Amino acid sequence: MLFLDALGPNGPYRSRRQETIPDLAGNPIATLSLVPPLYVTRAMKALHRAPVMPLDARIAALAEAGRAFATQRVAGLTAEEYQRTVSAATGTPITTVRGATADIARAAERIHHSMQNARPAGAVDSWRDPLTRGGRAVWTRRGDVFAVHAAGNHPSVHQGWLDAVALGYRVAVRPSRREAFTPHRLVTALREAGFGEDRIVLLPTDHQAADEILRHADLGIVYGGDDVMRKYADDPRILPQGPGRSKVLITAEADWEPIVDTIVESISSGGGVGCVNATGVLVEGDPTPVAAALAERLAALPSLPPSDDRAVLPVMPIGPARRWEEGLRQRAADTKAWLGGDGILDDLGDGTAVLRPAVHQLDSPFDAQLGMELGFPCAWVAPWDREAGIRPLRGTLVLTAVTTDEDLIDALVAEPTIGNVYIGDHPTPWMAPGLPHDGYLADFLMRTKTVLR
Amino acid sequence: MAEQKGEEFVRKMMRWHFSPETGSPFWLKRAETLDFDPLTDVRDFDDLGLFPNVVDELRDVAVRDLIPQGYGDGLEASVYESGGTTGEPKRVVFAAEWHRRSVEWFSERLDEHGVPRNVDWLSAVPTGPHNVGAMAVDTAALRGGLNFAIDLDPRWVKKLLADGHMDMASAYTDHLIEQIGFVLSSQDVGVLFATPPMLDRLAQRDDLVELVNRKVRTIIWGGTHLDADTRDLLRDEVFPNTKLVGGYGSTMMLGTSVERPGLGADEPCVFDSFAPYTTFRVVDPETGRVVPYGERGQVIVHHMSRTALLVNNAERDFATRIAPATDGFGDSLADVAPVESFSGAPVIEGVY
Repeated sequence: MLFLDALGPNGPYRSRRQETIPDLAGNPIATLSLVPPLYVTRAMKALHRAPVMPLDARIAALAEAGRAFATQRVAGLTAEEYQRTVSAATGTPITTVRGATADIARAAERIHHSMQNARPAGAVDSWRDPLTRGGRAVWTRRGDVFAVHAAGNHPSVHQGWLDAVALGYRVAVRPSRREAFTPHRLVTALREAGFGEDRIVLLPTDHQAADEILRHADLGIVYGGDDVMRKYADDPRILPQGPGRSKVLITAEADWEPIVDTIVESISSGGGVGCVNATGVLVEGDPTPVAAALAERLAALPSLPPSDDRAVLPVMPIGPARRWEEGLRQRAADTKAWLGGDGILDDLGDGTAVLRPAVHQLDSPFDAQLGMELGFPCAWVAPWDREAGIRPLRGTLVLTAVTTDEDLIDALVAEPTIGNVYIGDHPTPWMAPGLPHDGYLADFLMRTKTVLR
Repeated sequence: MAEQKGEEFVRKMMRWHFSPETGSPFWLKRAETLDFDPLTDVRDFDDLGLFPNVVDELRDVAVRDLIPQGYGDGLEASVYESGGTTGEPKRVVFAAEWHRRSVEWFSERLDEHGVPRNVDWLSAVPTGPHNVGAMAVDTAALRGGLNFAIDLDPRWVKKLLADGHMDMASAYTDHLIEQIGFVLSSQDVGVLFATPPMLDRLAQRDDLVELVNRKVRTIIWGGTHLDADTRDLLRDEVFPNTKLVGGYGSTMMLGTSVERPGLGADEPCVFDSFAPYTTFRVVDPETGRVVPYGERGQVIVHHMSRTALLVNNAERDFATRIAPATDGFGDSLADVAPVESFSGAPVIEGVY
């Protein structure tokens, strides 16, 4: 049995209140220490008291932690053991977990480059910069302590808050109770690499104590569904991260056949569980052949246990999987099913099931299903025309626009509710260090102020 | 021997509450609707399970009807109310003799814990219609101390929390902490009596933590549950210079139970009741059967004294069943924690 202790300001803390984390078949694989509110408030106070590490030391420690996270024994587990555990607990394909491990390490190693990219071009890092002698913008933190209510859908979620660490924030991470493995490993690696015990803490809690973490932080980020987005919409201290509703748009003059693989990858890479996976595919003209081609390719993906090196689809315990299937069936009631109409489950016979891809065709780009984001590869294919315009494309984290229409691209790039625009043959999950995912997190964490001396 | 004494006590109480000369109008009338005869069918503690849980009727019964006629005229008594956690408040009457006895018992338990006498108390517990405030005043006085009281309205806090006004609830709690701060900084306080949420909040104020550790020799907590992890933190890290003593009581229990003294740091907090007047049972909520020692179940409370008969009352709490300390009446409780909803209404603990 693996013990996932809380990681507090006085070291690892094993509470009496523990929660068992099972694997997909229901066998216990770890126990997670849930901390009470009093522990949270004391840990948050300690973060506020902790001194900031110098920038160079932060950058070096982040790089070292990234390497340890991806290659060394951390908190008793080798990287391979960690990856197997995450896959067994969440049903995420093992290759996806390995990819996420590499992404997190790479993000940590290249964090300085990312920071520099996010800094306003006119601003300098320190008041000591000679440029402030004539008056200059200095990039400064909006607070000292940053809270993260993490999601458990994908290990790469934890890449996001490394920027805050680099910027000198002290960070409290509240892990998902199902996938606490990644943040436990990452926080441990950071603490061992030099951040010590009072600059980064891991606070697993129930919902009640979770609010305490945000209350005692200067700023926070919270992952969740539409309810979470609404709850924090008016709170300037909180950055809510909701569903991505990523999409692909193909205009009439573009040739879609050569990029079918890219669309398939957009829908299904990483098991299709990410906010960057495409849910909507909009086609100018008749979307039928596109839907047919996607269905054919996606149908060929194999059903395998998540531990298999060739696995590409998510796996769940059969009970919850049935509920997902039923949810899809209800939502897809008045659509044309190209794939998954007879169900999406593939029973592996050990109490778990593969969630197979679904492709549905909609009559209109305004159908509500277009934004329906589910935890497996699931695409809604709809017709689009110039009259519909960019309205159906609003509220999109990543939009791959396969088009040569520069006026349209102008409009898409200008649209505030579209997070990222990839033009042409690029899959929606594409990411690179130093480029914003949903704006730079630094836009939220930092401000500029003029310093004159 | 204990068993015989118990049976004798139960029969005596049945005679008191169900004889026309001594019983209350409420029970004499209610007895007509029972499908058993308390005078002949209820012979020991186990038979108390025959009674229906009548506490819901205490929300609107005329409170004078609750007074046993055996007290005659000129009875000294007080009316107390529940916190209204699960609906309209419930009312009970405490005869002065019962309140005094209850305070004495509480004080004796505090002696067993080595709580100092002749020191002043600061009680951040509900006053007003709730009995715990009076208990604080009178226990302090009995032990040679004065009591500084903080005015605390638990119903208002629960209403704020139920309506989602977390910021207002928080502001109210800050206000209470400020009141505590005034007393702690200016007065010599030897005993602090407070609810766990108040202690939680107090623990966030370094200046007040320092004052408590310097002045206060015992913290008595009660009113809401305190989980084992928080108890460890309060005892070992926040208030290391102060002894923690827990109480588990309620108005519908007409009193409290007190933490068993002498247990080790790794043992859970065990509550012993004021037997035979107040006794616990820990049962499986599905079957109503008493669970084995060491297992968890719902808490059933019996109160039986001359002042009142309130038995077979299923509390909102769950606990681990522990063998009683002495005399063998009922169960003792460990790791008490509220259920998440009670009679269909979500349970909100608030500051009390």
